Amino acid sequence: MTTTIPERHPGQEGAGPSPRPGAEPKPVSPGRRKLRPYILSVPAVAVVIGILYPFVIGVYYAFLNYSAVNPDPVFIGLENFAFVLSSGEFWHSVQVTLTYAIAATLAETVLGIGIALLLNRSSIVGKIFEKVLILPLMIAPVIAAVVWKLMFNPQFGILNHVLGLGSTFDWLNRERALWSTVLVDLWIYTPFVAILVLAGIRSLPKEPFEASDVDGAGWFYMFRRLMLPMMWPYILVAVIFRFMDCLKIFDIIYVLTAGGPGDTTRSLQVGAYEDSIINLNYSRGSTYMFLLWAIVFATARYLVSVLGKAQRRAAGEEG
Amino acid sequence: MTPQPRAGSSWTRRDVLRALGLAGSAAAAAPLLNACGVGGGGGQAAQNGANAVSGGFDWKKASGTSIKILQTPHPYQQSFQPLLQEFTTLTGIQVQADLVAEADYFTKLNTELAGRTGAHDVFMTGAYFIWQYGPPGWMEDLNPWLQNSSATGPDYDFEDIYEGLRTSTRWDFKKGSPLGTGGQWAIPWGFETNVVAYNKKFFDAKGIKPADTFDNFIQLANDLTDRSQNRYGVAFRGSKSWASIHPGFMTQFSREGAKDYTSEGGKLQAAMNSPQAVAFTQKWVDLAKSAGPTSWTSYEYPDCTRDLGDGVAMMVYDADSATYPKNKPGASAQAGNLAWHPGPAGPDGSYATNLWTWSLAMNSASKNKLAAWLFIQWATGKEAQGKATAAAFADPTRKSVFDGSFKQTLGAFPGYLETFERVVDSTKIQFTPQTNFFETTEDWSVALQEIYAGQDAKSRLDALAAASTQKVNAT
Repeated sequence: MTTTIPERHPGQEGAGPSPRPGAEPKPVSPGRRKLRPYILSVPAVAVVIGILYPFVIGVYYAFLNYSAVNPDPVFIGLENFAFVLSSGEFWHSVQVTLTYAIAATLAETVLGIGIALLLNRSSIVGKIFEKVLILPLMIAPVIAAVVWKLMFNPQFGILNHVLGLGSTFDWLNRERALWSTVLVDLWIYTPFVAILVLAGIRSLPKEPFEASDVDGAGWFYMFRRLMLPMMWPYILVAVIFRFMDCLKIFDIIYVLTAGGPGDTTRSLQVGAYEDSIINLNYSRGSTYMFLLWAIVFATARYLVSVLGKAQRRAAGEEG
Repeated sequence: MTPQPRAGSSWTRRDVLRALGLAGSAAAAAPLLNACGVGGGGGQAAQNGANAVSGGFDWKKASGTSIKILQTPHPYQQSFQPLLQEFTTLTGIQVQADLVAEADYFTKLNTELAGRTGAHDVFMTGAYFIWQYGPPGWMEDLNPWLQNSSATGPDYDFEDIYEGLRTSTRWDFKKGSPLGTGGQWAIPWGFETNVVAYNKKFFDAKGIKPADTFDNFIQLANDLTDRSQNRYGVAFRGSKSWASIHPGFMTQFSREGAKDYTSEGGKLQAAMNSPQAVAFTQKWVDLAKSAGPTSWTSYEYPDCTRDLGDGVAMMVYDADSATYPKNKPGASAQAGNLAWHPGPAGPDGSYATNLWTWSLAMNSASKNKLAAWLFIQWATGKEAQGKATAAAFADPTRKSVFDGSFKQTLGAFPGYLETFERVVDSTKIQFTPQTNFFETTEDWSVALQEIYAGQDAKSRLDALAAASTQKVNAT
């Protein structure tokens, strides 16, 4: 398949509709013409100031010993990094964060694909579910977590009542707490994956499927050999969004367990919050955040390169 | 494309972008250049404003000024809200009260104080927070204000405030120094004692009385527990937070003769692994397992009081003011059925009780210090506190107010007055003051959760004590 890219000619201003024949474009005053580039660059400058400045300050704090009890900090080089990287707490938080991110992303992807395939069948039920499915996404994760915390309560929560678990089954004990937080994540975000994948399925060309059908290919064969490779870029987009988001998980965990019991669910974000906001140790909190940023950045770079390859493959540009 | 020379303009687009880049770099580098300040977060405390006030005392001394106060919605705050106009009439000072929900309150306050903006002149604070906000110089020492007869009215009578409360809000920030030394960083405004609230109707029906020793208390809680009926003996906090340690746990810990730290030669030594502490901790955690809420490690005070109000928990060991709202008509299923008891005495009969006090403090970066002090003085004074406690229920910090208007409100709260009178003389902050309080006390709650999950109490508390000793002496 080839793509025709419209050729640009010198003097052509843009790709918008052509002016009506005979209509002269409105002349722009020289002052406005001079000003235009600066006005256009305002959002970029705002982004630089709004994002980059706090980021740089955060990185700078990671090299100081700045805390509420030490408001006159000095430069201490890599001491914070050495302290954090040599602490068992940090590596436990890395493990919790990765376990959460991998488990939630994997489960949401599998469930999301399954739901998307079911919804793709044009039935009344499918159309209704398609609308209803969006509802969890409309609820702020903090509110969803608060509601789930009430549902998890062994004394009066609906889950134990409906599932017949009595008042002694604790969803948030040491063994189950992490999986319970993942469950809440699934409830909120599986629809996101499903909707993204469903949009992908509906944009696929029908011809290859019709041809396979004529050749007598089975449903699973068509799914594995045709649909999945073509859907792969959409799935990867969902995976990237969810994995990045899960690496930064804070709200659901903090509401449900505050990182406990013990440090069972202490993710990197929860650790950074504890250090920066509760203990007022800004430098150590910033070190946590910088290390989390490095993990997210490296993972994002890798996943985006995988996505690029998948897109090229789906477009038939790569073997 | 070759750039064309531009006539009549000395600035090109590149020049502007370069300038913006430089400005951005300068902004980013500002803290680097101001290494002591870190964006205004540090530096020494502003000069105390009390010495600038002279002449006779007059409520109108700051008339025409305005102050902003930062508060969190709470019975104390709500009881004072209708009285603010009276303050304005008395002093001519306009007051703007900003409210922030309790869950976010201290995050907001930390950020604001660290920024040294002085946006709010007066703020509500707990006593433990003084240990964190005081050393960086974020709070005004109120002692010079109290001592200055030009700033403080002759009728103020600071000594009328319960001694345990006055000393709980004083410290010199020196490691090992007890509370009650150094500056007066806040004035107690309302407070809570940590005692036992119980379902009197159920107790009466079964012919049971509250327990007077800790072992009897454990036995009673176990006897009251019937999981098949979704009923358990006693609720107390267990979530991962410093706030799980300070109410029932710290109260009973102190009554049993245990200490958090000992002091020697200006160094603190963690003592939460002493034999008494280990024995008590093991009993406390076992009590949580056998007669506490199933999801104890996520329980905060609203969970405890809700279970009491629902008739699921038979007792709650927490702040008196956290449980009383459940006894108000229509407030819960057990409204009218609750009563209060001091809780178990220690082996030596001790009723040592840990307290929480909401206090009023002055922002050292305030630009309206006299007006701020007049507000604090008025709000913690006899007259305003008397009116506030008559209008809404809150433990007053003044003995004269407690004995006066407050007692009239206690009729519907069986045992509340007797409990208060039993414990108030032994009520103070039972923790050793130290600047890493929140970090080390949250670590303590983590240790309790891990013991609850099955770790050996002695070895876990040994590890906690070693880590805490290192942390509190590091700064």
